[in-house]
Amino acid sequence: MYQVTVEPTGDVVEVEEGQTILDASLRQGVWLPFACGHGTCGTCKVQVLEGDVDIGDASPFALMDMERDEGKVLACCAIPEGDVVIEADIDVDPDFLGYPIEDFEATVVAIEDLSPTIKGVRFELDHPIQFQAGQYINLNLPGVEGARAFSIANKPSENTVLDLHVRRVPEGAGTGYIHEQLQVGEKLSVSGPYGQFFTRKSAPEDLIFIAGGSGLSSPQSMVLDLLEQGDARKITLLQGARNLAELYNRELFEQLAQEYENFTYVPALDNPLPEDNWQGFAGYVHEAAIEHFSGHFAGHKAYLCGPPPMIDAAITALMQGRLFERDIYMERFLTAADGAEGNTKSALFKKI
Amino acid sequence: MSNRKINMKEKYRLLTRDLEWEYSYRDYKEIFPMEEFEGIKITDWSKWEDPFRLTMDAYWKYQAEKEKKLYAILDAFAQNNGQQNVTDARYVNAIKLFLTGISPGEHQAAMGFGHVGRQLGGVGARVACQMQAIDELRHVQTQIHAMSHYNKFFDGFQDFSHMHDRVWYLSVPKSFFDDARTAGPFEYMVAIGFSFEYVLTNLLFVPFMSGAAYNGDMATVTFGFSAQSDEARHMTLGLEIIKFLLEQHPDNVPIVQRWINKWFWRGTRMLALVAMMMDYMLPNKVMSWKEAWEVYFEEAGGALFKDLARYGIEMPAYAKTAIAEKEHISHQAWSIFYNYGHAAAFHTWMPTEEEMDWLSEKYPDTFDKYYRPRFEKWREMEAAGERFYNPTLPMLCQTCQIPMGFTDMEDPTSTFYRQSEYDGERYNFCSDGCKDIFDYEPEKYVQSWLPVHQIYQGNCGGAEMEEVLGEYYKINLGVDNMDFHGSPDEQRWNAWHNLSSAEDKLKQAS
Repeated sequence: MYQVTVEPTGDVVEVEEGQTILDASLRQGVWLPFACGHGTCGTCKVQVLEGDVDIGDASPFALMDMERDEGKVLACCAIPEGDVVIEADIDVDPDFLGYPIEDFEATVVAIEDLSPTIKGVRFELDHPIQFQAGQYINLNLPGVEGARAFSIANKPSENTVLDLHVRRVPEGAGTGYIHEQLQVGEKLSVSGPYGQFFTRKSAPEDLIFIAGGSGLSSPQSMVLDLLEQGDARKITLLQGARNLAELYNRELFEQLAQEYENFTYVPALDNPLPEDNWQGFAGYVHEAAIEHFSGHFAGHKAYLCGPPPMIDAAITALMQGRLFERDIYMERFLTAADGAEGNTKSALFKKI
Repeated sequence: MSNRKINMKEKYRLLTRDLEWEYSYRDYKEIFPMEEFEGIKITDWSKWEDPFRLTMDAYWKYQAEKEKKLYAILDAFAQNNGQQNVTDARYVNAIKLFLTGISPGEHQAAMGFGHVGRQLGGVGARVACQMQAIDELRHVQTQIHAMSHYNKFFDGFQDFSHMHDRVWYLSVPKSFFDDARTAGPFEYMVAIGFSFEYVLTNLLFVPFMSGAAYNGDMATVTFGFSAQSDEARHMTLGLEIIKFLLEQHPDNVPIVQRWINKWFWRGTRMLALVAMMMDYMLPNKVMSWKEAWEVYFEEAGGALFKDLARYGIEMPAYAKTAIAEKEHISHQAWSIFYNYGHAAAFHTWMPTEEEMDWLSEKYPDTFDKYYRPRFEKWREMEAAGERFYNPTLPMLCQTCQIPMGFTDMEDPTSTFYRQSEYDGERYNFCSDGCKDIFDYEPEKYVQSWLPVHQIYQGNCGGAEMEEVLGEYYKINLGVDNMDFHGSPDEQRWNAWHNLSSAEDKLKQAS
């Protein structure tokens, strides 16, 4: 397993032995330009800044000798032979602040049940962290191989703590540890911040946040941050959950909706129990969004966070309501099991 | 002063979009008169995202390097008598088909993109089209140069551009591009930029280029790689045009869907030529047409249309028919060409026993049941000195111009046949897809130059086949046409290799 750092965004991708840079990047949600996927067209040409790469089966016409001499490779056939830094033809968002990634010692100070399947864990950090609302950290757990990624739920101004929302993944080693063994007082090592999911504050559009399950964490941080800064744009948070017990932090947002005129909170339950006596929206969260906005989303920026099927349904709803890729940002909550599916990907969308 | 290095995006912007000016003394509609008549609504050209960031200075540098490399290999191929090292002389007929049928299409594409590159109001789109126009010109030139070497040793190459405008089966690709180029600029972009260059391009290039690699034809492999290295820009341009049109206005969605339906169907009809090439004309097979179709259309196209569904775009109409046809189309197309082997500028033949077994294995549900018996009968007739040639002229489909030989996929033993009436005349079609295309724009397709009609109307040199084929088409009769067995191509090949027949050569090789 090697690390490939993709500049200018600084995204880090884990590449397995024999895996191409493009394959690993796309599977881990880091978009690189590509088209043919087999070394003949040259769309995925990148510059190697550091490290050694096997150029693989690149066509001599798609990657010419002079380019090979300059250290260019085709990501679709390039296989790293160690840790590598590449520079790709991708844009850095003007709202990306690029805070440096640091290591922290984090002490568990509180563990609470947010819902029957989601725990809230609060850590205190050994030194303050700088991050953008929406970003995530990597958590190293004892006896669990590989770091686990969790979005930060607290606002960036609370820079000495980390609030994480952890849903129990069936048979998941990392979340299993947190749910069953983690104790208050335990010290863990954390690195971050990571990710390209953050609020585009320079964009003038009103904001829509769509959250599902423990995917509330990032939108929670983003909403709290915007409101704290006195942002005057209209902000709508749609939160989806299975039933009333799974709908956590509802009181927090209902109260904020009363306090702030520009903030609207729409909870949706797709499978409410009879005893829930649910008077709110019954159905999936993307359906709640369609109803709330009467199917018209143009003129907004939308931020989606949650499990892949929710994101997928929300993108379709948004696009049918005339909001397109350039105005949609998303963080998919993948589990270790999600990476296994090897679906053919078309090159139509960059991020979706 | 910032001494920051200009990034690719900024550099591209300065050298392309920044060259645009304000139209102050002429009306926009006067400058771009074709932008509205198709019904497409463009609200904001600035939303066009440049599909690639190759500036002209870098473009010339890269292309020059590609040319150097390509011509070095072509020279080496010629000096080493590379034509003698292909698998066997039957293979060369695949590239005769390429030069006569495909390369002129590259030229048509160059002219098409040149035209569209003038008509689109957005400067980003105009620059991208102009660059693709130059690419296409490079492709047709390099292909002609690469194959000119074969012209010295094999028959049928000499009059490719003359033939392209006249010969019955070459009217299939010719009418495809004529149709696209006479459409409006946005339909052209969806037809060629998207449907052809993105959705179907792999089904054209991979079979020919892998076919060349498997059959020892380094010249063709090399121009293929050289062309494909330009395809990156063509594919990303195709994707950008479709996204741009769909995002600009909801009224564009049904128009784009209709164009996708039309051009997917026209494209798959044209690919029948590639299907038969793959399954019948390559001595060393790469994969079957059916396998190629599954990988490049069903899998890759499936992923694409799953993404397009978010815009409200559906799988092309008749995709199901096209999928069913993967079991039949190559066999039926080769049968048509075998029938009319005397009227083609390349050779046809019946597959060997070994090749028939390969076809049985690749097409277990259809080959033995529908095609092997017919082919064995034809082989018997040939052995008895009565090689079958069909002396009548076929009825052509008014839209795709292919002889009406394809069958009903529900009943593969009966010919599929549709008819429309327009202005008191009857028009015939090989498929529902082709009939739909006609019915939507009959005024356009009643003008089709159908080679068989033209012969009957006396517009093709005379009433005798010799006059049409020999004088009007410029086929060297008895040389370029007829069965491979007994052809001058075969005799020369055997003389080079001291063989008595092609069968011996195959036996010797195995």
